[in-house]
Amino acid sequence: MRGGAIWLIALLVALVATVQIRSQAEVERSLVGVDATSLAFLIDDLHRANDSLSSERADLTRRQSALASGQSGAADQELTDEATRLRAIEGLIAVRGPGITVVIDASGLTALDMQDLLNNLAAGGAEAIEVNGQRVVTGVPVTEVSDGVSVDGVVLPPPWRISVIGDTARLTDVADLMTQQLRADRRVRSATFEAKPEVVIRSVVSEKPYVYAVAS
Amino acid sequence: MLRRQLASLAIVALVALATGFVLADQVRSQLLTPSNQVARYQALVRSVQELEAANADSRRQIAQLRSAIDALESAAAARSSTTQALRGQVADLRGHAGLVAMHGPGVVVVLRNGVAGPGPGGASAYLVNYQDVQDVVHLLYSEGAEGIAVNGRRLTPLSAFGGTEGQIVIDQGPPLSSPITVAAVGDRNRMSDALADPQQLADIRAREVQFQLDLAFTGRPDVQLPAYDSSLQVPHVSPA
Repeated sequence: MRGGAIWLIALLVALVATVQIRSQAEVERSLVGVDATSLAFLIDDLHRANDSLSSERADLTRRQSALASGQSGAADQELTDEATRLRAIEGLIAVRGPGITVVIDASGLTALDMQDLLNNLAAGGAEAIEVNGQRVVTGVPVTEVSDGVSVDGVVLPPPWRISVIGDTARLTDVADLMTQQLRADRRVRSATFEAKPEVVIRSVVSEKPYVYAVAS
Repeated sequence: MLRRQLASLAIVALVALATGFVLADQVRSQLLTPSNQVARYQALVRSVQELEAANADSRRQIAQLRSAIDALESAAAARSSTTQALRGQVADLRGHAGLVAMHGPGVVVVLRNGVAGPGPGGASAYLVNYQDVQDVVHLLYSEGAEGIAVNGRRLTPLSAFGGTEGQIVIDQGPPLSSPITVAAVGDRNRMSDALADPQQLADIRAREVQFQLDLAFTGRPDVQLPAYDSSLQVPHVSPA
């Protein structure tokens, strides 16, 4: 009896310790090889991401409440507001708002350079982007052609004037770093940016109906 | 007597269980000192774990809320032709924004880490990075992709890529690492031809040779893409 009791106690202690240590090991396996500095950047990204998700949750909760209230016209108002917001996101309407303009004068920059620039701005919180009067959203083809860099089928010769709407503080930080790096590139003659209380983007993306995709 | 023995045994077992928890917790959260590099690293890993859990929970709630809103709008549309028409417009816009699951013919691309080696950047050049994913995505879009998802995360018109080393962050998602699966719906022959073209994806091709980075793809008659499950807010934008 006493031997069985001791055996049971030892088993319980071992079980608890093993579960705790294995759960720790699982987390570490997914982050194997990631150094502390990279983890710190990941934490920063995740904090910002979680803040955005909280904001989205709050907005969706408000919309759900408005729709559930049964008030006359609530559904039409929510749908109209959402249609406007989605058209802005998809680049289908002209938009305005605070932001920055970036001007890059260079020769020899490629489509890959343009893709990196646009991605950096998007990652920095850009909500609408236009390059030399050509509206850009993720999904618009940015390709290398014989004449240079083409955005949605239109060749854009330098200098590239990029208008961006979004959080001015974040965009300023991104543009500052971006233009510093560009000025260190021998192909770049000049790279400057300016924060503005209002940027107007009048260009739109051409609508393309789906040919292959079907809603599930 | 037997009952007393069993009660004693139960008490001792509970104490042992509690001791196990306390012991494990002490080992995990020992006092951090500047010289305690391992413990500091462990603390960073725990922070990432907690933030990832919160991130996943938020995205689940967002998906549930969107589903609930869709149901309420459907009920409202059944009562009004104006609402019905508006809902039709929004449904199309939601589709193009990535807020609706879709399927169709397409391709699936898988990127895997290679093997670390000597030479410039050998310490990390064998890892799939966010620029690799960006390059593949851009190629697919330029060849007519109508929708793309990366490791089950749908892309939107505002999507952006980031990350360091072999960790890839897309929008507000948790970090992703190899293997990375890029699924695209569109003209599967056109996309497949582009992926097979040795002139495309030059950096990936070079690292395939030097570090055995691996890019494989297949054309499929039906590729499923989930709906986007994160934030799609543009608080600084208004119609001009």
